[in-house]
Amino acid sequence: MPVDSFKYLPGSIAAYYRNMPVQKLEPVPFTPLAKPLSESRFALVTTAGVTAGDQPPFDQEGERRNPMWGDPTYRHISRDVRQDEIGAWHMHINNRDILEDVDVVLPIHRLLELEAVGAIGSLAPTSYSFMGYQMDNREWREKYAPEVAGLMKDEAVDAVLLTPA
Amino acid sequence: MLAQIFEATGFSTVLVTNMPYWAEKMGTPRTIGVEFPYGHMLGTPGNREMQMAVIREALSLLEDAQKPGVIRELDIEWPQPFDEAKRDWQPAEPSPIVAMMLEQRRKAAQQAHAGGEAGSTQS
Repeated sequence: MPVDSFKYLPGSIAAYYRNMPVQKLEPVPFTPLAKPLSESRFALVTTAGVTAGDQPPFDQEGERRNPMWGDPTYRHISRDVRQDEIGAWHMHINNRDILEDVDVVLPIHRLLELEAVGAIGSLAPTSYSFMGYQMDNREWREKYAPEVAGLMKDEAVDAVLLTPA
Repeated sequence: MLAQIFEATGFSTVLVTNMPYWAEKMGTPRTIGVEFPYGHMLGTPGNREMQMAVIREALSLLEDAQKPGVIRELDIEWPQPFDEAKRDWQPAEPSPIVAMMLEQRRKAAQQAHAGGEAGSTQS
């Protein structure tokens, strides 16, 4: 069964997305998995606008002042994070389910279970959370994504599971 | 786009998305397509089995993919009536951009209405 990419969108927004021009990246980059899963270290990256503990929220006031702007910064999410420490600040989705169970977007606890049974090598100490409403992704491209790539290298990450929002 | 940057920096990435249409257009290295509402790419809250099923597919795609651009669409049904799910993922308060567009649309309708009235008084 093919997935309908527009199933849950209101009609006008679906039409807008369907017709938006996109520049395809050619060639598509490719790094084959270098080790078996059972030896690979994972990091998780979401754009669901999740925070942990006393981290500052994603800037909602800034987006209210300028609806074309979204906070391009990111947060570190520790593998030790508890559900009651989770915050969620994305203004384009209902955050209720993330506040109930962060694993619907950032499956830290599932990856820890897979680590415990040896299905993956490990979950890295840190995962990362962005907020996905970015009309202009220049700051991601030029600053924040390379920064996160550097942090993941420092923690010897092999593979990344990403979930957009 | 983040997946592309990380992949190009030397990580093996897999994206789990409900918009594989976009993944294909943009050129994402490895994609799992799920027909789930926004903000729920792994499944429903508290549903360990559903979340694990999606993750296991993502892991096997990481292992199996021999070339970039592979998209694997999952046949997992969202366990909620469609109308309810379509409503539930949306924020309680419209996002600023949607609020702005609704306001613009309201003003345009008002102006069109006012213009119509002005026209009728002149005639």
